[in-house]
Amino acid sequence: MTSLTSETQKNQMTAGGKNERFQLSDRQKDLLQKFAALGSLIALTLIFSLTSNAFFTVNNGMTIALQVTSIGILGIGATCVIITGGIDLSVGSVLALAGVVAALAVKELNMPVPVAMLAGILIGSLCGLINGLCVTHLKLPPFIATLGMMMVARGVALQITGARAVSGLGESFGELGNGAFLRIVNIDQNGFPDVVFPGIPYPVILMVVIAVAVALMLNRTVLGRHIYSIGSNAEAARLSGVHVARVTLFTYVLSGTLAGLTGCVLMSRLVTAQPNEGVMYELDAIASAVIGGTSLMGGVGTISGTAIGAFVIGILRNGLNMNGVSAFTQQIIIGLVILGTVWIDQLRNRR
Amino acid sequence: MRGFLANLADRLDLPPRERRHAQGALRSKRGHGASNPDRPTFDTKTSDEIILRLEAITKEFPGVRALSQVPFDLKRGEVHAVCGENGAGKSTLMKIISGVYQPDAGTISFKGREHHFGSSLDAETVGIAMIHQELNLVPHLTVAENIYLAREPTHGIFIDKAKLRADARHCLERLGVDIDPDTPVRALSVAQCQMVEIAKALSLEAEVLIMDEPTSSLTEAETTLLFDVIRDLKQSGVGIVYISHRLDEMAEIVDRVTILRDGRHVSTDAFSAVTVDDIVSRMVGRPLEDKFPERTSTPTDDVLLAVEGLTRRGAFHDISFSLRRGEILGFAGLMGAGRTEVARAIFGADPLDAGQIALHGKPLEIRSPRDAIAAGIAYLSEDRKGQGLAVKMSVAQNLTLANMAGVADRFGVIDFQRETGTTQRYVDLLNIRTPSIHQVVRLLSGGNQQKIVIGKWLFRDSRILFFDEPTRGIDVGAKFAIYKMMDELAAQGIGVVLISSELPEILGVTDRVAVFHEGKLTATLNTRDTNQEEIMHYASGYAGTRS
Repeated sequence: MTSLTSETQKNQMTAGGKNERFQLSDRQKDLLQKFAALGSLIALTLIFSLTSNAFFTVNNGMTIALQVTSIGILGIGATCVIITGGIDLSVGSVLALAGVVAALAVKELNMPVPVAMLAGILIGSLCGLINGLCVTHLKLPPFIATLGMMMVARGVALQITGARAVSGLGESFGELGNGAFLRIVNIDQNGFPDVVFPGIPYPVILMVVIAVAVALMLNRTVLGRHIYSIGSNAEAARLSGVHVARVTLFTYVLSGTLAGLTGCVLMSRLVTAQPNEGVMYELDAIASAVIGGTSLMGGVGTISGTAIGAFVIGILRNGLNMNGVSAFTQQIIIGLVILGTVWIDQLRNRR
Repeated sequence: MRGFLANLADRLDLPPRERRHAQGALRSKRGHGASNPDRPTFDTKTSDEIILRLEAITKEFPGVRALSQVPFDLKRGEVHAVCGENGAGKSTLMKIISGVYQPDAGTISFKGREHHFGSSLDAETVGIAMIHQELNLVPHLTVAENIYLAREPTHGIFIDKAKLRADARHCLERLGVDIDPDTPVRALSVAQCQMVEIAKALSLEAEVLIMDEPTSSLTEAETTLLFDVIRDLKQSGVGIVYISHRLDEMAEIVDRVTILRDGRHVSTDAFSAVTVDDIVSRMVGRPLEDKFPERTSTPTDDVLLAVEGLTRRGAFHDISFSLRRGEILGFAGLMGAGRTEVARAIFGADPLDAGQIALHGKPLEIRSPRDAIAAGIAYLSEDRKGQGLAVKMSVAQNLTLANMAGVADRFGVIDFQRETGTTQRYVDLLNIRTPSIHQVVRLLSGGNQQKIVIGKWLFRDSRILFFDEPTRGIDVGAKFAIYKMMDELAAQGIGVVLISSELPEILGVTDRVAVFHEGKLTATLNTRDTNQEEIMHYASGYAGTRS
């Protein structure tokens, strides 16, 4: 993740500006911003390592990474939408619908698992497309458009499953969510498996690949530049020849697609499709973007920041769990963390 | 202040005399001071009492010393103008007076007592109010609600609407302006909004008013009325700090003038003791050359753009004109005559109802700005911050926004080295003053922002440029640079359209002038053969009566 973090800094450094003093202070500011979020991440890790022996282990690291994947992937989509000045409240419901569709496709239509999951992801894209069209063509406020989709998608997911979980999906359905890369298992003399290295879970690999790809898209491509320009000033972007509607639409489709993917990964992990899965996930996704410095006013935000934000939430949950803090107290703490980080962000911007 | 209020009360008892302005959106209910023998005289008029004194004010921002040891004082009942180029420190000084910024060194005393304003609220409390260039009113609330925003008279827990309305009406009548306190602010003209801001300041019993470019978007008649109001405020002992780029208007109201350059105090004189040329040369730090550069090229006969019968209902009707290669064509007319609307429609920003556009003799269909940009047409909006720039983005990102293909490969991956090089080239070419090409444009001065917009379209290789009020709110030096740039563009065979409300500018820069009146093109004149009077004639719609 740190390699992405330095992305923007590198851009700033390559510039041959005239005034070195300004360059430096710009860079320092940028570093400070990264360190504020990263610092709290490191601080959390240290604290939890001290309070719990089981926290700082490879196994738990992988567990956290796995837990973070859903917020992380959703957060990446949310970041792109928020940078344009929009918001996507539907991702929690869309992921449930996508997962349910994938499961039903396997169970009822006997589709091969990869094809069924692709169908689920495409359902997510379709939901995103509808969101985007409502925003760009019907000119609905993003909040309303995606609020509607949040209810519709959840309703459809409940309807087609009769509000029951879809189970008995077979082992191959669980591969994506439970498999791992480079997993090393020895069979000991008693015939029990001994896990030497838990491997890198596929969802984690997926998240990293997506994060790198989207970060490159935002920083390095014309499309990314256009996304920022729309959030900064949509009218100026339009008058500069940016295809505002098309680019905005793209961000919603991306967010929907990533929600669909998250749905498939989540349901695969449980090897059961729950139409009630993912409630409030949209808020976690938005929270991770906001903790990572994305501005809800649009025009500002990075994927590296969002990744840090997702990990802050993930580590908090995991660490508090290990310390036996109740789920209710966890919510309170995470809520306060969101308020705190955004407040610090405001302070920094005011300077 | 007591005396002021009493005097006003006296004045309100006078029978209001209607005085209509020819075109103004405002009406004055006040008789002229000199023509009214019943009016009480004010001993405050020539008072030498210093009401506000700043000493050795220094303010630094990261990397820039915005103000260095600047002194300033204001007498009761005077208008004290502050002049300087963009970036000279005027705005910073005003923000220090109004409490928005705190000085790093130096003292502020108001009525003999030293003050430290922690915020603009502190300054307002003691009686210093600022009328902002970008007006700070809430569009959806009424005039009365805006004037008493956050200070609403209450009746128990409810707002006392009757008192609110009556007090607001009282305030507005004090100014002699006829605005209904129940009108929502969004329905007012800019001039009316300004009057509401002034009324608000007076309701705060302000004794010092800071006016930042108050006339920049007013018509002539509205300006006249504003000056009447300013004269009355002077009479009643209010001190006014006045910032404007329109030096020609200042003679009417300004008593003293202070000139700043590069954050330093240059001079403070009685306005009558200096000439406009003196002021300008002190502002720029060199003797004044011509206000307009010589045209170095002549237009070709090659028609670049020809439009025929352009109509957009409610905005303009049956507009036809042509633009030749290497020509600078002026669009003259009063505000709201449809000049901007025509330019926007040709650029594809607004739809057309009828009419043809031909480029190089070939018909061209433009449905969006993208089509226009692809055809080499550029439009530089009068509203730089609202429509021209992505203000949260950097200089480099703004410069390349209209031509990303020029700095990216065919897969849309940006080549940062190329972007940096390109940006640096335009920053040097246009002499854009910025600490770095990665500076966020919001932090740059108006003139430099305008240059970035120009650079953006130059990098796009535009062949036709519409400049909409390019010099509004820009200092003399930067204005000259922009005129010169237009001339150079024309010399390269680019067609330039200059939309301007300033006739000297139109006459000084263009080859031909198209004059608009209420959505119609009333005349197209050769600049060399015309004059201000003739253009005004057509602009005010008397064309029919003229032979």
